[in-house]
Amino acid sequence: MKVPAGLALLCLLASCREESSPAVAHALGDAMEGRRVIERAGCAVCHDIPGVRGPRGVVGPSLAGFARRAYFAGALPNRPGLVAQFVRDAPALVPNTAMPDMPLDERQARDAAAYLQTLR
Amino acid sequence: MGTVLHDLLTGMQSALAPAGPNAAAIASLTWIMFVGGGLIFVFVMSFLAWALWSERRGWFAGRGIVIAGGIVFPLVTLSALLVFGLLLARDIVARPSDGALTIAVTGEQFWWRVRYVGNDGRDVDTANEIHVPVGEPVKLVLTTADVIHSLWIPTLAGKLDMIPGETNTLVFQADRPGVYRGQCTEYCGAAHALMAFDVVAHPADAFAAWLEGQARPAADPGIPFISRGRELFLAAGCGACHAVRGTPADGRLGPDLTHIGSRRTIAAGSFPNNKGTLAGWIASSQHLKPNNRMPDFNVFAGEELRAIAAYLESLK
Amino acid sequence: MNIQASQGPDARAEELPNEAPRPDDEFAQLKRIWDPPRGIHFITVVNNTYVGLFYIGTAFLFFVLAGILALLMRSQLAVPQAGLIAQGTYNQLFTMHGTVMMFLFAVPAVEAMGVYLLPNMQAARDLPFPRLSAYAFWAYFFGGIAFFCTLFFGVAPDGGWFMYPPLTSTQYSPGINADFWLLGIGFIEISAIAGAIEIVVGVLRTRAPGMSLDRMPVYCWAMLVFAGLIIFAFPAIILGTLLLEIERAFGWPFFIAEKGGSPLLWQHLFWFFGHPEVYIIFLPAAGMVSMIVPTIAGSPLVAHRLVVLALIATGFISFGVWVHHMFTTGIPQLSLSFFSAASMAVSVPSGIQVFAWIATIARGRVMLTTPALFVIGFLFIFTLGGLTGVMVGMVPFDWQAHDTYFVVAHFHYVLIGGMVFPLFAAFYYWTPHTSRRPLSERLGRWVFGLIFAGVNVAFFPMHITGLMGMPRRVYTYPAGMGWDWLNLVSTVGAFLVAAGVALFLIDLLRNFRPSPDNAGNVWNAGTLEWLPSGDYANRSIPIVRTHYPLWDQPRLAEDVEAGRYYLPGAPTGGRETIVTSPVHAEPQYVVQMPGPGWAPVLAAFFTAAFFLLLTVKLVWPALACGVLAVGFVLRWLWDTDPGRTPPVDIGGGLTLPTYVTGPMSHAWWAMIVLLLVAGTLFVCLLFSYFFLWTVNPRGWFAAPLPDLVWPAGAAILYGLGSVMIVVAGRTLWRPWTSRLALAAAVPLLVCALGIDINAHLQSGLRPQDTSYGAVVAMFLSLQGFYVGTLIVMAFYTLARSFAGKLDQVRRGTFDNTMLLWHFATAQGLAGIAVVQFFPRLVGE
Repeated sequence: MKVPAGLALLCLLASCREESSPAVAHALGDAMEGRRVIERAGCAVCHDIPGVRGPRGVVGPSLAGFARRAYFAGALPNRPGLVAQFVRDAPALVPNTAMPDMPLDERQARDAAAYLQTLR
Repeated sequence: MGTVLHDLLTGMQSALAPAGPNAAAIASLTWIMFVGGGLIFVFVMSFLAWALWSERRGWFAGRGIVIAGGIVFPLVTLSALLVFGLLLARDIVARPSDGALTIAVTGEQFWWRVRYVGNDGRDVDTANEIHVPVGEPVKLVLTTADVIHSLWIPTLAGKLDMIPGETNTLVFQADRPGVYRGQCTEYCGAAHALMAFDVVAHPADAFAAWLEGQARPAADPGIPFISRGRELFLAAGCGACHAVRGTPADGRLGPDLTHIGSRRTIAAGSFPNNKGTLAGWIASSQHLKPNNRMPDFNVFAGEELRAIAAYLESLK
Repeated sequence: MNIQASQGPDARAEELPNEAPRPDDEFAQLKRIWDPPRGIHFITVVNNTYVGLFYIGTAFLFFVLAGILALLMRSQLAVPQAGLIAQGTYNQLFTMHGTVMMFLFAVPAVEAMGVYLLPNMQAARDLPFPRLSAYAFWAYFFGGIAFFCTLFFGVAPDGGWFMYPPLTSTQYSPGINADFWLLGIGFIEISAIAGAIEIVVGVLRTRAPGMSLDRMPVYCWAMLVFAGLIIFAFPAIILGTLLLEIERAFGWPFFIAEKGGSPLLWQHLFWFFGHPEVYIIFLPAAGMVSMIVPTIAGSPLVAHRLVVLALIATGFISFGVWVHHMFTTGIPQLSLSFFSAASMAVSVPSGIQVFAWIATIARGRVMLTTPALFVIGFLFIFTLGGLTGVMVGMVPFDWQAHDTYFVVAHFHYVLIGGMVFPLFAAFYYWTPHTSRRPLSERLGRWVFGLIFAGVNVAFFPMHITGLMGMPRRVYTYPAGMGWDWLNLVSTVGAFLVAAGVALFLIDLLRNFRPSPDNAGNVWNAGTLEWLPSGDYANRSIPIVRTHYPLWDQPRLAEDVEAGRYYLPGAPTGGRETIVTSPVHAEPQYVVQMPGPGWAPVLAAFFTAAFFLLLTVKLVWPALACGVLAVGFVLRWLWDTDPGRTPPVDIGGGLTLPTYVTGPMSHAWWAMIVLLLVAGTLFVCLLFSYFFLWTVNPRGWFAAPLPDLVWPAGAAILYGLGSVMIVVAGRTLWRPWTSRLALAAAVPLLVCALGIDINAHLQSGLRPQDTSYGAVVAMFLSLQGFYVGTLIVMAFYTLARSFAGKLDQVRRGTFDNTMLLWHFATAQGLAGIAVVQFFPRLVGE
């Protein structure tokens, strides 16, 4: 387990470095940790998230290429802070969404959002 | 290699990470056989190498070696092993269970119905999670509602089948608190791979508190959004299959949901339990666990789906 | 029997080899007679060498196909929660992988090797029933291909290769997937039984003169035990599949607990077959190893007799271990102990063989050729598999290991080590016997290296994965259980094996050139299959005096090729071989054998079509195919039973009859073997009856018994029918008396069954309602099957009588009808006795 995951993360980090500066990634949250958060919370039950193992959910949108989206949730501009807020408490931002608030703390939400920003 | 060994000796589903006397006895038998079998293998291969390459291989060229290695040696070692193994099996089967906590576990495609048989005639139903007190024998009465299943908690005991028309009894004991994962090991159809469960071992008083909590009917939500979820749950007919004690929902086909919010996982050990996964499960259970008995419920508006998930999550 | 009594082969030994020159045209005639047909008619070929090759090739094709299924599964399992293969597809894949490997590869492959090798090893010209071999092959070929193709339509079976009900009952498997399994292996059962008959009679009756049982090659012993295992093990699965299919089709609840049935009955029937099945696969392979090891070591097998004893002992013990597949079903401790002990005991004969091979290797000097490498690989892997077998034979350990990847590892070690490695050794070893060129030693080493490494890399980690808690038959698994790495390694190993097999195919493409003009005895082996040979097998049939005739008689090959031994030509003008006595192999008569023909091929095609159409519920087309299949079988039989022809001189001063009937004839023996199968089937049904009673001793007898008058009447009619058959047999010299007696027997038989059935219906027997009703109805149905068969056989026999093909001498056909008739009578009486008296005996 450790090596394939490690390899995946290496690639991932490499792609981070390519696309955005490390400093920004850090301020955003820890993408590696974010991936673990996403796996533990079971986000894949509803979403197809590249790099995250799970059932490739069909309830919400696929998050492939999320970082390239201009808007998300049909209403919100794709800004890291907003994404972190959304994954933690979606209904607060989009009242009629089907996505419930998730049991994540602020840091975990930032990490999860950071991971989503690696999905190009 | 190191991590493999570590996982073998500590894994939550490893037969060689025993947490109770049954599994510990079998684990020691396993190690004895590993070492013994390994030595025999090395000996036989050494004989073969000797026969192939040694200048003095003539030693092995007669009937004597065939009789010694092929008859005498296995008869002696296997007889000893057999006696040891059968005595061990007898001890495990004969483990006293008088007055032990009795839990009826029924295998269903593809989940586990768990019922604590109360002394006062009041049973407590739950699903996919077996809570036991530490340090005392527990008796599981195993039956099936449909096809053959097999209940296996490797860290606690060997497996035992659930067969239509038969009732099997498994007595085991957990020596220390913890979460032990189990899984169905008899292929039982489409979603056999997604039929797991947890055994949660508590100290005696914590267990008593847990059981008391489980025996209580579901609490009234109090919060409007959650109340709305309950109304939707009932209106959508979920109660035809599921029971939530204290509400009109009294279905028996699916798992009892009275305290679903207190469980570690949903869909028989398949996914973590939170509002998000609950909502996802309701909306797409056939995608998540194809051919399970619950249809997809994707008729709710987003907010309604959230309300139902929130209601279920509140059932602690 | 009096022909050879005064003149055993040894008595005439000084006359052979006969140095006198042979007639000029003799060899040309022999060759012409045994030539395979040309052009499109080539597929009607019946020579064992060609049918054997087709058979091996087809079995190997299924090995490759089932291997590809395994690669798909391994790809899905390479990482946790992969999405490569959907759940439903995966379930079909593992069911088909197991089923195809066991039923379409392993059993046919070892049987095919027997068809190919046995006559050569015994210096017979062919197996005694060449058309039966062809039929068995083609039924397997057509049926197997169609069965495999169900995967492409998504209707392949998905209940696991042991198909446990009630998962496979209509309620939980309403689709036709399960039916494909149950009916789809019908033709495999038929071809296995046909092969067993062929092999028993072939081994016991068509050995070279002088090849007494004591001098018989170990491989022939192995195949004899193999055939014995099929005879006594396959009926259990035949009955099991019949019961389950009948339950699915008509709702007779054999396995439904609410109606008094038991799912455990299936497990008993399946594993009573299933465990001997392992030895059905392993023993022939062990036999091949016992042939190859002496050659590669250049020294006779050490402890030959012990090895033979070990084969026989394995055969016996293998029937006493089936419950070790059921240790976790909660059966009583006492049974567990018995079956655990038996499971340990079976490792003794394996140990004997392993040490005999090692001792033989030590006695000689082994060159590490490719066959030798595969034999060494076999010893390594099989020993490991045997040791883990002892482990899972230990009851408490099995409670943990059962149905996990540990068991997956164990049986792949045993089956790949015990069967696939010997088979590859055999491919490399015997290719020069059939091909103009041997296979490449250089590629062979790579093939060996890749497969050996691959098998260990793939399957060794599975022991650990299993103990870490991973169950078998899961299409996915969660991450973080510690299984990830191990699974990835296993997947890499699987692809290594695949690379090895692919390389082997390349080797075959480059070097495998089947030809009567073969490479010959390149290994300097000592047994008869390495005599110079062609389509006619050997020019003449030698006298055997030792285990390794080619080593002990340096001129043997030359003399045989020059026609200096028995039967150097074709004195009857057709295909023939010498039939010898079963123990001492003294020549008894010359059997005339049929040549190629379309009837067996077409009969096989329609047999397969019958089963497959029945599966897809096209009942009328299926029945039409069934009738056609029977028709073509009768057509092919019509040419057999040739009647008395003049005795022939086979050389060495020996003149043998060319037509024999009665207990000495090969046809009689074949019928007896078939009756053993039928009898075992009946015993399995009796077992089912008593087993279901023990499951529910109270109130199991769900219908009142008919008044005893009716069964008594049926019994008398059965008896009278057999009396009529005896009369017909005694009066064959007066055709009309005989015909009338035979014709009279038919209504007696039909009425006997009819009365029995009617009595049960009148007393309220409802097969759909209770397992009791179902089993009793099954007794009647099975009897009905024989009654139907006998009606066909009676009319066929009558037809031969009217055609002038039946008289007091030419009576082989009649004898076979008679044997089955008496069997049916006995079974009918036994069935009545049990069904009528057992309930009264236990006071219900």
